[in-house]
Amino acid sequence: MSKRTLLGLLITGALIAQPLLADEAPAPAAPEATTAAPAAPAVKAERGSNLVSLKELDSKAPARRSLNIQTWNTAEGAKVLFVEAHELPMFDLRLTFAAGSSQDQNAPGIAVLTNAMLNEGVKGKDVGAIAAGFEGLGAEFGNGAYRDMAVASLRSLSAVDKREPALKLFEEVTGKPTFPADSLARIKNQLLTGFEYQKQNPGSLAGKELFSKLYGNHPYGHPSEGTEKSIPPITLAQLKAFHAKAYAAGNVVIALVGDLSRDEAQAIAAQVSGALPKGPAMAKLAEPGTPAFGESHIEFPSKQTHLMLAQLGIERNDPDYPALNMGNSILGGGGFGSRLMTEVREKRGLTYGVSSGFTAMQVAGPFMIGLQTRAEMSENTLKLVQDIIRDFLANGPTQKEVDDVKRELTGSFPLTAASNSAIVGQLGAIGFYNLPLTYLEDYMAAAQNVTVEQVKAAMSKHLSADKMVIVTVGPTVEQKPLPAPTDKPVRQPAGVPEH
Amino acid sequence: MFIGHHKAFQPWSRIERTSILTPPRPPTLSSSRPPYRFKIRMNALARRAAGLLLGTLCLPMTVWAADPQPTHEYTLDNGLKLVVREDHRAPVVVSQIWYKVGSSYETPGQTGLSHALEHMMFKGSEKAGPGEASLILRDLGAEENAFTSDDYTAYYQVLARDRLSVAFELEADRMAHLKLPADEFSREIEVIKEERRLRTDDKPGAKAYERFKAMAYPASGYHTPTIGWMADLDRMKVEELRHWYESWYVPNNATLVVVGDVQPDEVKALAERFFGAIPRRAVPPAKQPLELPEPGERRITVHVKTQLPSLLYGFNVPSLTTATDPRSVNALRLISAILDGGYSARISSRLERGSEVVSGASSSYDAFTRGDSLFMISASPNTQKKKTLADVEAGIWGLLNELKTKPPTSEELERVRAQVISGLVYERDSITSQASTIGELETIGLSWKQIDNELSDLQSVTPTDIQLAARTYFTRERLSVAHVLPEEKAHE
Repeated sequence: MSKRTLLGLLITGALIAQPLLADEAPAPAAPEATTAAPAAPAVKAERGSNLVSLKELDSKAPARRSLNIQTWNTAEGAKVLFVEAHELPMFDLRLTFAAGSSQDQNAPGIAVLTNAMLNEGVKGKDVGAIAAGFEGLGAEFGNGAYRDMAVASLRSLSAVDKREPALKLFEEVTGKPTFPADSLARIKNQLLTGFEYQKQNPGSLAGKELFSKLYGNHPYGHPSEGTEKSIPPITLAQLKAFHAKAYAAGNVVIALVGDLSRDEAQAIAAQVSGALPKGPAMAKLAEPGTPAFGESHIEFPSKQTHLMLAQLGIERNDPDYPALNMGNSILGGGGFGSRLMTEVREKRGLTYGVSSGFTAMQVAGPFMIGLQTRAEMSENTLKLVQDIIRDFLANGPTQKEVDDVKRELTGSFPLTAASNSAIVGQLGAIGFYNLPLTYLEDYMAAAQNVTVEQVKAAMSKHLSADKMVIVTVGPTVEQKPLPAPTDKPVRQPAGVPEH
Repeated sequence: MFIGHHKAFQPWSRIERTSILTPPRPPTLSSSRPPYRFKIRMNALARRAAGLLLGTLCLPMTVWAADPQPTHEYTLDNGLKLVVREDHRAPVVVSQIWYKVGSSYETPGQTGLSHALEHMMFKGSEKAGPGEASLILRDLGAEENAFTSDDYTAYYQVLARDRLSVAFELEADRMAHLKLPADEFSREIEVIKEERRLRTDDKPGAKAYERFKAMAYPASGYHTPTIGWMADLDRMKVEELRHWYESWYVPNNATLVVVGDVQPDEVKALAERFFGAIPRRAVPPAKQPLELPEPGERRITVHVKTQLPSLLYGFNVPSLTTATDPRSVNALRLISAILDGGYSARISSRLERGSEVVSGASSSYDAFTRGDSLFMISASPNTQKKKTLADVEAGIWGLLNELKTKPPTSEELERVRAQVISGLVYERDSITSQASTIGELETIGLSWKQIDNELSDLQSVTPTDIQLAARTYFTRERLSVAHVLPEEKAHE
């Protein structure tokens, strides 16, 4: 699914965005907000005025499935968030550790390697036996490490004969992995192979360069999966030490959703927490320094040039978050109707996709814009994007744009709790970033009160069109002028036959 | 980066998505509407089908499943098929419309029409100007999108349940009254070319797969890339799109699927209100894409901008819609699960870990196509261990030959069965995947009720059937091979 709701992304954004950033996605993971008709000239009639169904809708906000989030701490200090959902005989368990690559210190890649080694060996079981164990129960084990966080997850049927052995295995894998040497050698080789594949991917090259320019030596600066130089020397002893410290019960959030009673959930959380190493939460990261803005280019023999523009954005708890997200939705938050999409794709046919987004992280995450266009258009397309940003920061959104985002937010609210997997993602984010349990409701309320002036002020406080770090990856070719934009009104007069 | 449990280094992401039991990963390109996707839907269905066969022991439904969800089927007077499934967990609904047209219906010189038309469906109809429908839906907080494949073109909206009527009205309007403005087309075709550059031309794995597919399907429309050849995009005319639209976009060639917190009678009334007046019209004859059973061994060497070599294998095999003997197809589905149904399956445990001959590999078999299919294997040699493509081919043949001679172990069958049973439950966490399973089955010419029927069909498959299928289908006469090599090797 490519499209997520605006609200869904607000809350799970970090979880979703980080894998993409850490992986190979060239563009920010589309905080898919969308909005409204941008400065469309000559909009003659109100949008949707020909639809009878629209007139019949009542104006009240749609209902959302009510979520009763329960929370407590385990004896070892792990924070637990739980939602009962008995409709399907299954449950989702997600452990989120502050054990991402920002904890790598002088061994880039150690967080990813440690996470990848969890299911490679436990006492009495090698990797094949572990996999066969989960798969034989119909359970799904998942793992991944990103910049802020490392995740281990389990999806299983809730029937006791499936649930208990699956949890037992999960507990060993997360709490007492044995880190076999042959697995480490194999995974290192796979990582090194992966680096070779990244060299053929212009988006991946652009992303790496961008983070390096944006963060320099800050822990967010290096790729989560490390580098060709940093991976080979990492030792088993280092991984074990990293696990003992970063996978500690005091450093985890346990999110649990599904067909479980409170008592059962409490027992599961206690069991999982008790199996982890004992220890406190990791210290918070230092703030990144100010990056040196400007443009850098990587020559690459592709048909398209990949363009990325970025600046330091915000941390997760920034009070400007609602206003910035609203502003970003209008500017380029991923969907049709955003200014970037309208100007670059819809009016000029220059790109398949363009999007912008704030990735709110533990400390200032990036604000990024990403797009690709045919190489001969790249320079002028970059200028066009810069002009759009400049104009937006200088003049702010229109009242209609802001009103439309508010309506969209209201309408998409029910979609945020429509599945167990959506809910468990939200619980993980709420727990990891220490947000209040009413975060989504609070956010909705705050967003409804944001004004045009507040959006403009917040955007221009955090962003400057002239201070972007810019990375381009593509071939050097003679440049061409951009096609003229269409000036057609968004709506055509109804009922005029075309044929 | 996911490593370990997830298969991280597969260059063939499209193929991987069809892999039985491998969960589809979301497209990394999330920055805009991705109207062009491959068959990522069949996992759950394939899973369910494969597993049901396994065992002689069939657990009673209540052991593992929630109460079955009521599903209702209607056909309007104009031929539009409507399937409604109730899922009352949350006050939301998904609406999908599936048209029986895709790239396998296209002819040489006109490739890419289905996909280009899908793009133009967002460019205005009688009640909404270009792009306006998307903005209306955004205002309502809806998710919307569309996708095209060889066999179908589909459009969907996910939204609060009380807003379904807006989705219907917009969808019905563009079924009946699409505008196709020439100036919009002139810009949109440039967007489509950018999409082709992004997703195929600048992606070595995707580019190699496109070439491979053109070779592996010598007789049927499946050799056509869904996005179209660049030369055909360059000369595509809006008049061709209008003809394509008028030929295929009629109610009697579509299936409307609704899953969510709705009452079936109300949905039916709503469908009649908005779609009911659209007239039925005859569609051109749609011939099933049939292949040569044994075309002969074909090999291609593709040099692309890659750092590492890799390999594609494809055997021409039937699908559930073309097989005269469905048991052999169900045996192939089981084989795919035995080879690649998880981290404990044979490809992972033997080739990736045991002999470490590959750095990554996968198998896949899509039995849910309206024509003949391919059984695919893709692999990258473990270059860190100095393994070559020849080593990989030997490793693959080792696995295939073993399937011909030895029955699978009961542990393997039991694991697949367990995954199938749980997969049935997990699929129901998403209204969208439920709707997609229904829509795809209907569109390829099977009924959504197929799911129920398969149980008995599959249970009749025996270990002998599996060996027989392996011996029948894993032959050189059915095989296409692509060696995908770095470009510099071309000069040697």
